[in-house]
Amino acid sequence: MIREPSILICDDEADLAGELGEFFAACGWRAMVHTSAPDALEALHAGAAPTCLLTDLRVGHFSGAELVSATRRLPNQLQPLIYCIMTGHVLDTTAAKDFGVDLLYLKPIDPDLVLSDIQSFLEDTFKLPTGT
Amino acid sequence: MRAPLRSWSATLCAVTFCLFVATTLLYIWENKHRAVLSQTVTNSGWVAYQAQLEHVKSAAAIEHAKDHFTPQVVADLALRLEILRSRLPILYASEEGRILPEIAAMQPALQAYERLLDRMIDELPALHPPDAGTPEMLARWASALAPLGPELQTVLMASVAYNNSLFERERTLATQLAIVPLALLFLSGTSLVAMLLLQSRRDTARIAEVERARRAIADMEGNLRGVIQAAPTAMAVIDPSRNAVRFVNPAAAQMVAGSLDHPDWKRLIEVAAQDVRTGDAEGATVKMALTKANGDVISLRGHLCPVTWEGRPQVLVVMIDTTRAQHADLQSLQAAKLAALGEMANALSHEINQPLAVIRMAVANAHRHLETEGARDAVAAKLERVSTQVDRAKRIIEQVRHYGRLPSGTAEIFPLGQAIELAAGSVAEQYRSAGIRLALQLDLPPEHTVSGDRAMLEHVIVNLLVNARDAFALQDDTRPRTVWLRAQAQEGRAVIEVEDAAGGISDDLMSRIFEPFSTTKVAQKGTGLGLALARSVVRDMNGQIMAENMRYGACFTLVLPLAPAAASSAEREAA
Ligand SMILES: Nc1ncnc2c1ncn2[C@@H]1O[C@H](COP(=O)(O)OP(=O)(O)OP(=O)(O)O)[C@@H](O)[C@H]1O
Ligand SMILES: [Mg+2]
Repeated sequence: MIREPSILICDDEADLAGELGEFFAACGWRAMVHTSAPDALEALHAGAAPTCLLTDLRVGHFSGAELVSATRRLPNQLQPLIYCIMTGHVLDTTAAKDFGVDLLYLKPIDPDLVLSDIQSFLEDTFKLPTGT
Repeated sequence: MRAPLRSWSATLCAVTFCLFVATTLLYIWENKHRAVLSQTVTNSGWVAYQAQLEHVKSAAAIEHAKDHFTPQVVADLALRLEILRSRLPILYASEEGRILPEIAAMQPALQAYERLLDRMIDELPALHPPDAGTPEMLARWASALAPLGPELQTVLMASVAYNNSLFERERTLATQLAIVPLALLFLSGTSLVAMLLLQSRRDTARIAEVERARRAIADMEGNLRGVIQAAPTAMAVIDPSRNAVRFVNPAAAQMVAGSLDHPDWKRLIEVAAQDVRTGDAEGATVKMALTKANGDVISLRGHLCPVTWEGRPQVLVVMIDTTRAQHADLQSLQAAKLAALGEMANALSHEINQPLAVIRMAVANAHRHLETEGARDAVAAKLERVSTQVDRAKRIIEQVRHYGRLPSGTAEIFPLGQAIELAAGSVAEQYRSAGIRLALQLDLPPEHTVSGDRAMLEHVIVNLLVNARDAFALQDDTRPRTVWLRAQAQEGRAVIEVEDAAGGISDDLMSRIFEPFSTTKVAQKGTGLGLALARSVVRDMNGQIMAENMRYGACFTLVLPLAPAAASSAEREAA
C-alpha cells in the first residue's frame, strides 16, 4: 500500500491542470501540476517519481506521447507506475497502448472515473491499494 | 452585265466625240473652200479680159498716133503701152497661170511681147512728127502687136473654161457636201441617243439593285424581329442616344417589364450604361443587380451588341437571369465551407472539449467543497470558473457560426471609412487601458463605398486591432506601443493596413496563420478563428488579405474593390 500516492499532471490548459491537481489533492494524493512539458520533464528528472503521470496529448508545441516516452527512458526508480493520457481531440483509435500508455481518456473527463481506474489499475497490476 | 454595259457606253462616248469633231472640222473646211472658190470665180477671166481690153486700146492708140502725132497723143500711147506691158505678167503669174497648162504654155510668147513692148516704150520718145518714117514705124508696131490679140483671146477662153468648171464644181459640192455633215450629225445624234439609252438602262439596273437590297434588309430585319420575338432568352433593343427601349421580346417583358417606358427598363438602362462607363463591362458584357420597382432583386448578365434597327444604329441587349445561378454559386461556396468545417471538426471538438473539461473538473471539485463546511467562497470561485469556460465555449461556437454562415447574396453598399472608424472606436478603450496608441490615417471620403457584409467587415478589422494589442502583451515595454491603421483608395480598390511594432509573427505560424484554430493564445483569449474568418469575409467581398512581417512588427493588408460609383469617382480624383 502506497502511503502517499502522488500524481504529476501536465496540461497547458492551466485551469484544467489546476482543477485536476485540486481534485487529486482532495482525494489524498500529492499533486504536482505543470502547464508545460519541459517543466514536467525537468521535475521528473529531478526525482519527482510520481505514482501516476497524467498528461494532455498536446501540451502547447509538445506532444504528450513524447513526454511519456522521455519519461520511460528515465531510471526505473524515477518512473511512474502508471501512465495516463487525456485529449480533447477526436482520435482514430481509443486504445491506450497505441499511445504507449496504460489509460487513455477523452476530455471532458469524469475525475471520479479516472481516479477509480487508476486505483484499480494499481491494485490489479501491482497489488497496490491506493484507496483513501 | 454591268461591265460590258460600261465599256459600251465608253465606246459610244468616244465615237460621239469623234463624230462631233469630224463634223466641226468638215464644216470649217467647207466654209473655207467655198470662200476660196468664190474668190477664184470672181478673179478668173477678169485679168485676161483686162489685158485684151488694154491690147485693143493700145492698137487704137497706135492708129490714132499715125495721123495725129502730138506730144499729148505720144504720152497717151506711152501710158497705154505701159499698162498693157504691166498686164501681161499677171496672166501667167496669176492663179490660173499656175494651174491652167494652156496659159502656162503661153508664158514664153507673152514674155516676148513684153520685151517688144519694152522696146516700143523705149523708142517712142525718139520719134518725131515731121519724120516720114514715123507713121511707118507705127504701122510696123501695130502689125507686130496684132497677133497678141488672138493670144489673149486664147487666154481668156481658157480662163472662162476654167471658171465654168469651177462653177460646176461648186455646184456639185453644194449639193454633195451637205449630205456628209448631215450624215455625220445624224450619226452623232444617234450615238448620243444610244448613250443616253444605255445610261438609263444602267440607272434602271442600279435602282433595281438598290431596291432589292432594301427589300433584303427589310426581310432580314423582319427575320431578326421574328427570331428575337421567338427566342426564349430575354432580348431588348435600346436606343443609346435617347436612353430608351425600342423593342422587347416576350422573355424580356416577363423578366423585366412589358411596357417599354416602365421604370424598371429605365433603371436597367442606367445600370448598364454606368457599367459600360465605369469599364465594368468586359468587352460588351455587363453584370448587374437590378432592383425592380416591387423590391425584387434580379441578377442579370447582359451581352451588348450593336445592331441596325429600323434603319438606326441601336444596341441589342441579350440578358440572362443569373439570379438562380448566383444562388447556386453561393450554395456551392457554402458547401465548400461546410466541407472545410467538417475537416475542422477534429480541431473544433478539441477547442470545445477543452472548456468542457475544465467545467467538468470545476464542478467535481465544487461538489467536494459542498461536502465541507464553510466552503461558500471556494464553490463560488468554481462557479465563476465554470461561467468563464462556458463563455469561452460560446465564443468558439460564435466564431464557428460566423465562419459557416451563409454568405449574403445581396450585399449592402456602405462607406468603408465609416466602418473602419466604427471598428477603431470599439477598441479605443482597450487600447487606452493597454497604453497603446492607435494612429489612424484614413484617406477615404464618404463616397468611397464597398459592397459586402458591413458587420462582418467591422468584425474583421476589430480582430486585426485586437490581435495587434495582444501581440504587445507578449512584448517588453521598451517598444513604442503604436498600432497604425491606414486606409486609402488606389485604382478602384481600397487598401487597408493594420501595422504594429509588436515583434511580428513567427515563420512557423505565418504559413498557416489564416487557417482555423491557428492560435498562440491561451484558451481564454483566442480561438484562432479570427483570421480564418477574416479571409472568408474578405473573399466574399472579392478582396484579398495578406500578412507580412515588417521591421518592428506585423502588418496585415486588406485589398477591397470599391463599389462602381466609388471606383469612378476615385478615378476622377486621381485624374
Ligand atoms: N499582429 C500580430 N502580431 C503577432 N502575431 C499575430 C498578430 N496577429 C495575429 N497573430 C497570431 O495569429 C494567431 C491567429 O490570430 P487569429 O486572430 O486568427 O486568432 P486569435 O486572435 O488567436 O483568436 P480569435 O481572434 O479567434 O479570438 C494569433 O493567435 C497570433 O499568434
Ligand atoms: Mg484574433
